[in-house]
Amino acid sequence: MNGSEIFGAWVAVFLTLGIFSYLYKDNPFYKIAEHVFVGVSAGYWMAMAFWTQVQPNLFGRLWPTPEGQISGFLMKTWYGIYNLFGFVLPSVFPDGGIDKGHGHDPHFIYLLPFALGIMMLLSVASKLSWLARLGIAYTVGMAAGLRAYAFLNSNVLGQIKGSAVSLVDMPFFSLTGVSVFNNLIILVGTITGLLYFYFSKEHAGAFGKVTRVGIYFLMISFGASFGFAVMGRISLLIGRFTDLITYGSSTYNYASIWVLLLMIVLLAVWTFKGEKKSVSQ
Amino acid sequence: MDKFLDWIVRAGSLDRRVIFVVIALVVILPLFFPLGLPIRPTNSSQDVYNAVEELKAGDKALVSFEYGPSTKPEIHPMAVALLRHLFEKDVQVYITCLWPDGQFMAMEALQQVAEEQYKKEYGTDYVLLGYRPGAEAVIKGLVSNFRKVFTVDSRGNFLDDIPMMTGVNQVADFDYLFSASAGYPGTVEWVQYAADPTGVTMSTGTTSIQVNEVMPYVQSGQIVGILGGMPGAAEYESLIAQPGIGTSGMDAQSVAHLVIVGFIIFGNISFFVERRRSKKY
Repeated sequence: MNGSEIFGAWVAVFLTLGIFSYLYKDNPFYKIAEHVFVGVSAGYWMAMAFWTQVQPNLFGRLWPTPEGQISGFLMKTWYGIYNLFGFVLPSVFPDGGIDKGHGHDPHFIYLLPFALGIMMLLSVASKLSWLARLGIAYTVGMAAGLRAYAFLNSNVLGQIKGSAVSLVDMPFFSLTGVSVFNNLIILVGTITGLLYFYFSKEHAGAFGKVTRVGIYFLMISFGASFGFAVMGRISLLIGRFTDLITYGSSTYNYASIWVLLLMIVLLAVWTFKGEKKSVSQ
Repeated sequence: MDKFLDWIVRAGSLDRRVIFVVIALVVILPLFFPLGLPIRPTNSSQDVYNAVEELKAGDKALVSFEYGPSTKPEIHPMAVALLRHLFEKDVQVYITCLWPDGQFMAMEALQQVAEEQYKKEYGTDYVLLGYRPGAEAVIKGLVSNFRKVFTVDSRGNFLDDIPMMTGVNQVADFDYLFSASAGYPGTVEWVQYAADPTGVTMSTGTTSIQVNEVMPYVQSGQIVGILGGMPGAAEYESLIAQPGIGTSGMDAQSVAHLVIVGFIIFGNISFFVERRRSKKY
């Protein structure tokens, strides 16, 4: 076990217990952990997106490593701009172009997403912020178009097909498998659940009774969701405790135990001082 | 009797921190003293197992990692168990990541299973293609042309230089698809953009909280089986007869559930007793 791994374990223990300390009440340890989490997450996502997408797939397509000597005025100017960028940021724009398997000729069509990306960043400049709308409009339009077919195919047609259940040639009752009884539940649940969301008619009389059945199905579904949510949270708690137990071993210099004790003492002091201050005020 | 009811009403307004301590204890204790409660696979876990069992040596499986450290306790055990099953059957494994931190989860799982346990060869038996931002646009790209999205793998090797990438050009070239997903982008997007349009057999492993959202796709046959959270992982571990992290956490999970159900019942009794008294007076 090297020093950096042990240090990492101590940091992990501190952050875990810092977040858990909120269960007692809002306190400086929780604040530190919360701010570190938000900052590190933002930085991590930005770095990952840049080095896995922007640099290889955008810059790598605009300025790929050319085959042989660069010739022609346009190409010389184009790679002249690249060299200028390379002078400022050599790690992003290495000497001789970016070799990420995109061939040897620049794909100028990628200037379009490059320009749209820059436009979106201009939202921070008040006078040019209107340009950001173009980038956002493209993204929204593209996403809507991309999703329309997929939703229609998988969520509408696929689910209608899945709900069109058979009521013949199967056992009447089965606890887990396909059966007439289970299919009847699907049928009644689907129809009454959908009718509950039909608001053009007042939910009264016979129609109200049917939609009431729909509510029960929805409630059962929400109950199942709640149960699964509890199960998920307990799993995550088990994961954290498993790590804390591991980091509490001698291999990690009893990180969990020391950090826990230190945190309890400091929280006690902080609470005591806070109470004393409020009494004096 | 009145004294007992008084106690029930008083206990109903128990300090929430007492409940936190009780939950912490019932989760920690079984981790130190395992109870060995039995694990019975559900039909949906069995379906995932059967789908992998149907694969032959040399078949191609595309596994996508869409989770990070925050959901690792739920998804990682099932990802490890699935990789064990795939490598046991000498299936070629191709890994993609739609989440940036999924790449590190995949690296950890591969080191544990492919390198240390099964001594598989990188580029011949498995390949980690890595992370690409773009969510459903990435999946859509993989369905039409793999090389549009990935020109290099996570180690920087060109795809054309990797032996097992020969003849792999699109999602339809795979025999099996598995999404280890903790949210968006994940299972739903793989169904909409890959499994449904191509007809490739797809299974999934999700966080518990997602099960309700994904289950309609399983019921309709768009997904073949689902592993739901830590219990799903434990069930899969029991099916492949290789107990792992999922199995070890199940005792704590079961005991914690019992205690939570107990708290819910007790809270309701207290609420109704209090309401009855307030009506009386």
